[in-house]
Amino acid sequence: MTQPPLRVIAIENVTLAREGQGVFAGLDLRLTERRVGIVGRNGSGKSSLIRLAAGLIAPQAGRVSVNGVDVVRDREGALATVGILFQNPDHQIIFPTVIDELAFGLEQQGRPQAEAREIAREMLARFGHADWEERLCHMLSQGQRQLVCLMAVLAMGPDWVFFDEPFNSLDIPAALRIEARIAELAQNVVLVTHDPARLGGFDRVIWLDEGRIVADGAPGEVLPAYVAEMERLARAAPC
Amino acid sequence: MLSLALPGASWAHRLPVGVKLAGLAVVMVGAMQLRDPWVIALALVGLVGLYASLGRAGLAAGLRAARSLFWIVAVILLWHLVTDQARLGLTLGLRVFLMVGLANFVTLTTPLPELIALIEWLAQPLSRLGLSPRLPALSVALMVRFIPILQGRFGQLGLAWRARSRRRPGSRLLAPLSFSLLDDAEHLAEALRARGGLAPRKQGKD
Repeated sequence: MTQPPLRVIAIENVTLAREGQGVFAGLDLRLTERRVGIVGRNGSGKSSLIRLAAGLIAPQAGRVSVNGVDVVRDREGALATVGILFQNPDHQIIFPTVIDELAFGLEQQGRPQAEAREIAREMLARFGHADWEERLCHMLSQGQRQLVCLMAVLAMGPDWVFFDEPFNSLDIPAALRIEARIAELAQNVVLVTHDPARLGGFDRVIWLDEGRIVADGAPGEVLPAYVAEMERLARAAPC
Repeated sequence: MLSLALPGASWAHRLPVGVKLAGLAVVMVGAMQLRDPWVIALALVGLVGLYASLGRAGLAAGLRAARSLFWIVAVILLWHLVTDQARLGLTLGLRVFLMVGLANFVTLTTPLPELIALIEWLAQPLSRLGLSPRLPALSVALMVRFIPILQGRFGQLGLAWRARSRRRPGSRLLAPLSFSLLDDAEHLAEALRARGGLAPRKQGKD
């Protein structure tokens, strides 16, 4: 192959309702940028959007594909294409020890146990945490648990990594560290946040409100308008 | 959150999981035959020795498990005192400590993936019926994982209660506990789906 395969998230005419509440009605979105930020208030559909793109929820109508993979139906293909980090690492971690947590996804991809553990060990070494192998996940700090989730996702070799509010409940050094790690990733990234300051260097920012795209463009265009509107809302409805 | 795992490389960790579970089954049947409280007490001393052989952390984990049994055993003892069967109550109470302690020992020293692999192997015949043997294997693993979460959640709800009440929570926490567990189950299902669900290797089934 002379040119790398195109990395594209295609959301076509998607209608989604969750627990009886309409989230999206006829949403169209095509993402090809290396770094995409999603901003919006709570309940605007940010998390639903990345869950759709990760194939975790199925739309009632429309089509979702990532790099040509139908992520909802072809779960095997989806595993090698998209990885997602939930807001709370405790909702993501399934196994008690770090090595088991990392190896699990690889076994799910059909690798034999010994090979899965070997790849997991390599991943730990790459991040300078070879000594975490036998550590208990729940004894690690919040930032460390998040890193375990990231390593577990990266081990599965996705082209895209989605982050759902990765900076919440981290202290400042931990938040800065994860920000730096995200910046270094070779994978394409979609990052959901309500904090515009984290998206300065991104290629594209999408502002969602009540399931609709309010603005879509470079951070320099979208973010100032977003911040102005949030400030206006705060003034309009003082506590 | 607590955990039902004790990472390490002790002699008990190195034993194959099949040997441990088969041994556990035999010892459990044997423990059911013991009727003399003194003999059970002696067996308990042996059990403490087993935990001690895992080192300080092993002993601590064993004590934690024993502490969570305290109230159950207290109720058993009280009941038998009331019905004037103190000796039987003592036998039953000690037996609870012994059996749960033994099972906990195996759980602590068995990495979850090994347990999954064993159950998957045992469940091989299911594949002839078109069912994935990974299904029962993951179910058991998830159950093991959920026990400490249940304890932790109950503790959290208890704290939230005490922060705003002078009285003890008691059974009124059961409904919120169930709701929060359903919520946890949903998160877990999502985490599992994000990494291939129950049978990722079979395409078209999910």
